[in-house]
Parts: sequence; C-alpha cells; structure tokens
Amino acid sequence: MTDQTPQSEGRGEERQPSREPRDAAFWAQRVERLEVSDVPAGAANVNVQGRREVGALQGFGQLWQKTYRVHLAGVEVTPEEAVRIWKERFPEFQPPNSRFYPSMAGVAPGEVLFISASVGGMPVYTGVRVIYADDESFTVMTPEGHPESGWNTFSAYTDEDGTTVAQIQSLARANDPVYEIGFRIMGATEQERIWTHVLKSLAAHFGVNEPVTMEKVCVDPKLQWSQIKNLWHNAGARSMLYTMVGAGRWMRGLMRRRGT
Amino acid sequence: MAVRHLEVEVRREPGGAVLDLRGEINGFAEEALDTAYAEAERDNPETILLNFEEVDYINSTGIALIVGLLARARAAKRRLVAYGLSDHYVEIFNITRLSDFVSVFPDEESALSGAA
Repeated sequence: MTDQTPQSEGRGEERQPSREPRDAAFWAQRVERLEVSDVPAGAANVNVQGRREVGALQGFGQLWQKTYRVHLAGVEVTPEEAVRIWKERFPEFQPPNSRFYPSMAGVAPGEVLFISASVGGMPVYTGVRVIYADDESFTVMTPEGHPESGWNTFSAYTDEDGTTVAQIQSLARANDPVYEIGFRIMGATEQERIWTHVLKSLAAHFGVNEPVTMEKVCVDPKLQWSQIKNLWHNAGARSMLYTMVGAGRWMRGLMRRRGT
Repeated sequence: MAVRHLEVEVRREPGGAVLDLRGEINGFAEEALDTAYAEAERDNPETILLNFEEVDYINSTGIALIVGLLARARAAKRRLVAYGLSDHYVEIFNITRLSDFVSVFPDEESALSGAA
C-alpha cells in the first residue's frame, strides 16, 4: 500500500507561512541513504553505508510495539539527567553480544551508531541512525538489512509518585521473512533480553535494582508480502559472507606465509 | 515554554471524518488521539483526515502514535490522509517514511477532493 503524496510533488505558493517549529533542532536531516565518513574503532562498516532507512511501515513481519520500563526508585535523578547519562554511556549499557559503536559526536540527531551483534552465534553487523534526540528522549531508526524495521525510543519521565521512570519503546517489525521466522522461534525473546539488560544497566548506574516490566501490543498482525524483496539486504546473511571472506583471506595469508 | 497538550475535535464532512488536532503530539497525546479516532470511526467513514494546521510540536513518540492510527486504518481498510502540515512536518513524514503510506495534502479542500 503506497499512496501518492501530492503535497511533496507540488505545493502551491499560497500554503500557510512557514512556522518556526520548536522541535526542529531535535530531528535529524533527511538523507536518501546513509553516508558514513568516520567509522569508530572496533566497528565494521558493513550493511550501513549506502543503506536506506526503514521505518515501522516498510518491513515484512507483524508490527509490534513493546514498552520496557524501570522505576529509578529511591534516587534523586531527573529525567533529563537519566537521559544524559544514557546517551553518554549507551554502549556500556549493552549486553556483550550486542555492541554499539557511536561516532565521536555520540548520540545526537543524524549520527550513525554501528552495531556488532551475535544472534544464535552468528555475527550481525549493522547500525542505526539517531533520527530524534532531545533532553528527555532519543530515537534510533534502522536501515535496510537490520533484523528489525522501525524505531526504538529511549526516554525518561516522572510518574505520578514523582519517581523517574526510564523507558524503551520499540515500534518495529521483522525486516524480511527469514528474520520473521527467527523472531518467532527465538529472536523476540533475545531482543527482549537485550532491552531488559540495557534498562537494568542504566538503573544499576544509579544504584537501583528494580524489576524491568514489559508490555507488548501487536499493532499490525499482517505480513507485508510486498516487502519480501528486503531479503536481498539481510544483514545476517551478508555478515556471514563478510566473515567467511575475511576468514578465507586470513587462511590464504597464513598459508602464503608458511609457504615462504 | 508551557506544554500544550493535544486537543482533538472530530468533524464529519461529506468526504470523510476530520480530526482537528491542536497542540503537541507527544507521549501525552495518546489518550486524546485514541478517543478521537474511535469517535471518528463510529460512522465507518472510508477516509479519516488528520488536520495538522494547529500542531506545533511532534516528537518521535508522536510519530509512533500516528503509525498506530495508520495500522488501525489499514486493518479497517480505511484511508488515512493528512493535511495542513508545515514544510518541517512534511520533512519529518519523509524522514520517518510515513509519507510512503499517508497521503499528504496542503489543505482541507484538496484533501477532501483527493480522498473522494
């Protein structure tokens, strides 16, 4: 289902005068494709450069909204402070099998974060781009080939009791049929474990040990068969190929050295 | 600056139900949007139009709420169209690729005729 967008094709001169939006500084600029100039040490620029971003509407599988929360109870921390620390220490809060490599600019609108993950023992090199960041939240969007197609929003707010709550809200669907099968068998649980770990780590930074809650809602149960072509960009398959080619080169080099 | 919580009014026009949105579309807007959307759906219109003329703030959580409305519209085989977006918000619809799925019109007249 792809509708035309008449406004973007030809807007009239008499449209309303442009207003200065308060959120303008928080949103990234639009890019046709991801362009990477500097790759952080340790990261692999695989499945990132040249990829288009894909949102919750472009993927293949069922669309899920999952909301994870932890109450930062018993400590004096504002939502702004919690999100500031979260941005600064984002890679540290990840589990060992899901490494994030931010650019020098860190978590800021338009910046790309590289990901080196391991799913079921298989490497997956991919990334995300920060499309929105303000003092109390930031959102990353996935590129083609990433296991998910959608957004993750990391935020904090004050609840009715005055306690700061840290939250991750994911709105995403599997990018292609292989990922959809993977998520249904085991991937969804793995993903839930990752975000639970992140919230636990953030809470532990503030000396809090509270349970992480998770709510999930299937927003759209339909599979989008028109997106089956996304298989071509599957980052898992391409990462495997990348790793095998790398191993082959290493073996050839080793044999050459032993032969001389 | 004071937060302007979202207010939504529902109007019925010959071409569909219109949701006049006023204020900020962020996490606090969920209840107002859901209630208004349910009200708009009551007469089973073919098209629901979102009027953004009086919207002055959208964050990424707000975009997620609009995706939720779109999913509901698709499930009911309804069209969801938008109008009155400033250039900035047209750009946000492009960044998030919402514009692949939601027709965006400059004003109500063109939206209603486009939806017909």
